Amino acid sequence: MFNLLRMDLYRLRRSRSVYVCFGLLLAASVVVFVMLWLLAVPQGQENALRIGMLTEDGVETSRSILDGVDVLELFRQTALDGGMYNVTMGICIMLFVCADYQGGFIKNIMAFHENRYLYVGSKVVTAGILNAVFLAGHFAFTLLLNWMFKDMVPWTDIRDVMFYLAWAWLLTTAFGALEIFVCICTRSAAAGSLAAVLLGSGMVVMVLYGLLNMFHAGGWLNYTIYLSFSTGPSRYTSVQDLRTFAVGAGFLILYTAAAGIVLKKQDI
Amino acid sequence: MDTGKQRTFAVETVRLTKTYGGKTAVNQLQMQVQEGAIYGFIGKNGAGKSTALKMIGGLVHPTKGEVRVFGKPVSQGVIRRRMGVLIEAAGLYQNMTARQNVMMKARCMGLSDERSVDQVLALTGLSDTGKKKVRNFSMGMKQRLGAALALVGNPDLLILDEPINGLDPEGICQMRQLMLQLRDQGKTILISSHILGELSKISTHYGIIKDGELIEQISQEELNEKCQDYFQVEVENVQRALPAIQEAYTDVQIEVFDSRTIRVYGLKETAGLNGVLAKKQIPVYACGVHSMDLEEYFFDRMEGGSRHV
Repeated sequence: MFNLLRMDLYRLRRSRSVYVCFGLLLAASVVVFVMLWLLAVPQGQENALRIGMLTEDGVETSRSILDGVDVLELFRQTALDGGMYNVTMGICIMLFVCADYQGGFIKNIMAFHENRYLYVGSKVVTAGILNAVFLAGHFAFTLLLNWMFKDMVPWTDIRDVMFYLAWAWLLTTAFGALEIFVCICTRSAAAGSLAAVLLGSGMVVMVLYGLLNMFHAGGWLNYTIYLSFSTGPSRYTSVQDLRTFAVGAGFLILYTAAAGIVLKKQDI
Repeated sequence: MDTGKQRTFAVETVRLTKTYGGKTAVNQLQMQVQEGAIYGFIGKNGAGKSTALKMIGGLVHPTKGEVRVFGKPVSQGVIRRRMGVLIEAAGLYQNMTARQNVMMKARCMGLSDERSVDQVLALTGLSDTGKKKVRNFSMGMKQRLGAALALVGNPDLLILDEPINGLDPEGICQMRQLMLQLRDQGKTILISSHILGELSKISTHYGIIKDGELIEQISQEELNEKCQDYFQVEVENVQRALPAIQEAYTDVQIEVFDSRTIRVYGLKETAGLNGVLAKKQIPVYACGVHSMDLEEYFFDRMEGGSRHV
């Protein structure tokens, strides 16, 4: 698998889509910071009033937007809880995996590697590495923006940041494994994109949540990847806070194994 | 083709079968490719060539049967290392350069020496493509790059499915030279192509597949023997003409091609045969000397073969 991983990382570094997706995430953060500055910071509000974006009545209400929000909370709200990060990451992984099928290079790989689990394993590890770089880079950029906007929100304890990023990494990598599974099953970029949007944004989960709630069974969906993001803890307080790790690890193993089984049965 | 001796074949399939749904794409294929041979694999579209080659290359799981490469099951990693595969369109990353594509294959195989990458690029004439992306390559360049990928790691066996498809005459000539060069290096090449004339210039052995079944394996020498010149006569009545010819010529081979046509092989002097038929008052509509090439032989076999008398 090490050889396949070397090959995947070689291509990853040369994939323009990776840089475009990361750029989109950073650009979204810039937009959020600018909007918050205009709405919640006195100096920004003056500009917002001048351009008619805010009324005098709304000044006080807007200022409370950032009450109780620290830099980690802002990062969560901006990127992960709403699903934007997963959609972007899902599309990035879809483009990466489907390129093997669209160009036909998978024939070169499979003609050499009999064990198809290695292929899936390499893709999942690549997704994990990409995820780690994206999460760390994105969070660092959020810190930079906060510094540039003169500490608009308070900083967060580094231990809380590490705890949060650790389980967020596991969950997003599990989502990456789901995306790899979909791409291997369908071999279609269109299906992969659709899955990234519908599953990453939580549309499927929310529809299911509504349906299951009619039977008072919606609580089960708290163990899905999407809802684990919004309900997961920002800091470690008790053993129960480790639930998100279990959810992430469970789905990561499940989707990786499922992708391996499907690929093993497929003809190339 | 020799079958009596105990030998290790570069490729040997044992009752290889692939079924999709209820349709059998490849049926009980028994193919033997000798080491060092260029084996031309011939068949119409949909005959099962690509499926068979994919099974040999380990890309498609056989429904039944077995593939042995250099005497060992194709599933073994050490055997995969000895094979290079180019099946259907060359599998390439369009937004990468030729060198990057070859580097990808080298990394996939765990090769760290970049000299081997440069060697295959030089061998396939792609050394000077620089930063040009594959999407801007001509069809010929893409096919050559596909061949270059198959050659990474210096494999002993090359499986090439339609490698000269879409190439211009110059590209075909270059690919032919490459095949011959590789054969001289001792590599075994299993190649399928629709361009039979081109295949006949390089192949040492042939396998003909029809409706998923291998109907014939033949060496170039055997083909030359079978494709020898013959004298063809079209007569009104084959039943009367045949005994007359058999009586007059005992040392020739005679084939009744259809209800009006007789082919005589090994005839040294043709005027005498006309005389024999005229003497027996058998009307002759047409006659002449013919020689078969691979294409004609192939079509002959596709139509169900001929009946030798």
